[in-house]
Amino acid sequence: MKKTVKAAKPTLPKKIVGKPAKVTIRKLASGVPGLDDILGGGLPEFSFNIIAGTPGCGKTTMAHQIVFANATPTKPALYFSVLGEPVIKMLRYQQQFTFFDESKLNKAVRFINLSDMVLEKDLNAVLEEIIKQVTEANAGIVVVDSFRTLARKARSDVGDVEVQAFVHRLAQFLTSWEATTFLVGEYVEAETHNNSLFTLVDGIFWLSQATERNSVVRKLQIIKLRGQATVPGLHTVRINGGGLQAFSRTLGLIGNKKKPAQRRQLSIGIPELDKMLGGGILEGDSLLVAGPSGTGKSALATQFIAEGLRCGEPGIMAIFEERPEGYTQRAATFGLNLQRAIQKGTLEALYLRPLDLSVDETMQEILDAIKRVGAKRLVIDSLVGFEMALAPGFRADFRESLYRMIGALTGAGITILSTVEVEDNFTSLQFSHYAISFLTDDIIRLRYVEIDGQLRKVMVVIKMRGGNHSKDIREYVITNKGVVVIHPRRTDYNGLITGIPQRSGPRKAQESEAAPEPKATK
Amino acid sequence: MLNVAKRLVTYEMLSNTSRETNTQVAFHVGDRLRPQLATLMGNGGYRALLLRALVLAKAEAPWLRAVQVNMDGSLKGLEELHAQLSPTHFFDCSVVLLAQLLLMLVAFIGENLTLHLVREVWPNVSLNDLEFGKGATSEKDG
Repeated sequence: MKKTVKAAKPTLPKKIVGKPAKVTIRKLASGVPGLDDILGGGLPEFSFNIIAGTPGCGKTTMAHQIVFANATPTKPALYFSVLGEPVIKMLRYQQQFTFFDESKLNKAVRFINLSDMVLEKDLNAVLEEIIKQVTEANAGIVVVDSFRTLARKARSDVGDVEVQAFVHRLAQFLTSWEATTFLVGEYVEAETHNNSLFTLVDGIFWLSQATERNSVVRKLQIIKLRGQATVPGLHTVRINGGGLQAFSRTLGLIGNKKKPAQRRQLSIGIPELDKMLGGGILEGDSLLVAGPSGTGKSALATQFIAEGLRCGEPGIMAIFEERPEGYTQRAATFGLNLQRAIQKGTLEALYLRPLDLSVDETMQEILDAIKRVGAKRLVIDSLVGFEMALAPGFRADFRESLYRMIGALTGAGITILSTVEVEDNFTSLQFSHYAISFLTDDIIRLRYVEIDGQLRKVMVVIKMRGGNHSKDIREYVITNKGVVVIHPRRTDYNGLITGIPQRSGPRKAQESEAAPEPKATK
Repeated sequence: MLNVAKRLVTYEMLSNTSRETNTQVAFHVGDRLRPQLATLMGNGGYRALLLRALVLAKAEAPWLRAVQVNMDGSLKGLEELHAQLSPTHFFDCSVVLLAQLLLMLVAFIGENLTLHLVREVWPNVSLNDLEFGKGATSEKDG
């Protein structure tokens, strides 16, 4: 199916004088999910490009995706195979991908083996054959694979100047013919220097593979694309059953709708905590709930999502440390029926244990789910689990990618609650063991304190970027209603945040200090 | 696959308008596929495929030992074979060779694409009632 960005309808200028209209470069859909965003909208029509990289990066697969996405019987794609992978093997392997449409074969997509000609004849004959085939077929897309092998063979036969002349004539003909061309070649970076081919082409699509410990990641860089603002940098690429998939560094979030000017205060589902937050969390905020294991971070996150559902706000829970069933079961013990929302399609619980995925791919999963359900609230439980689920090589990118995703999502008005596990020590109050606090607008810290021979729990709102908040340290319990804030702030203790407070007020009778911890029941 | 090959060879023989005898035309079925396959694989690729198909076919039709593949992908020794064999055996040899060639294509690019190529060369031959790509070349007519 040909997908193109619709070209503006040509109209006559109203006045003869004045600024002449600039040319509109139509953009072709690449057929590679995520690539069009990186390219700034798609492939420029009639451009002359090179898809380069080391072996195994996905160059040929990318070329096939472009071909199958754009070829039509009236404007077919010609795929010239030159001293590279034989066509029969290409067909054997490429048909495994879902983009391969056999009905297009030899009609919209035609494979032509030029290897014999390259071996037996000179560059002029090769050029003449390409011109003949392109003219006869009225080709709209042309691929030459592997162009490097062709150029190398020719260079050894006739020298650099002849090869340059050949490339020049080829580019001139194909561009004049209004064909969009892709030369595919195995190049290493050093070969790009002083190579006129890389100067001549309009676009350079550079694919690479990097190994980090046991993980391998493919990357794509658009080194050059004339006439278009591409997303700079290295983008993760994955080859799956659908072919190549590219994950833009911006996660396709550029240009998303902006945060509403009038931001509501959203209930977190715990009335006393809402009061501590000055009425609730501001819509589009990123809230970090930090605390040690067992302090109720996931319970709080569950209540946040459930409250959203109650208010008609779909949600996503990205869970990294326990299975979704555990989450829904715990919610049920609090009287919250998440299962119904999941069945209704207003809630998705993503259980992400990718192990070898890049952070961008994982985030793309979350973003796709957000789009699917139209989520207004997102829970990430937990950031530590998220980071651990990634392959070691990708952890370096974690904070940067998280920053981009949280920034873009909150910018679009989605409210995010992330949890992070921190170890309590008894001399200070950490917010997080790594510097992620800058990602958040609001921070709630949970911690254990020793009071009257009991290990109790307290919470405090550390920061609220958008408004005033309570400075109280409040004790809470986890009951069969979830997290419940109990006592008003304790004025009879000093040093609560150290975890080992000192009694400063009169000691109450012990009977009124009964353990406030009725265990949640199923 | 034998049934498919048999139908294609029969079709070629029935639509033969050349001076050659129908039996001689039997082996030209491979030539009909040659331009198509040479476009995809080059002449060398086609020759290699045919060479392998011939080796495999010889196991089923030993008379094919006399046949060789020329550098351009054409077959050598057909006249001698034609002189030695009855028309029926000659026909069978061509069917076995074509079946092996098609089976190799099936092994490389799968049934769908092979059928696609065959249909392009012989658009008027109906193959819908045959099990394309199934079974060995020595299958019996169904």
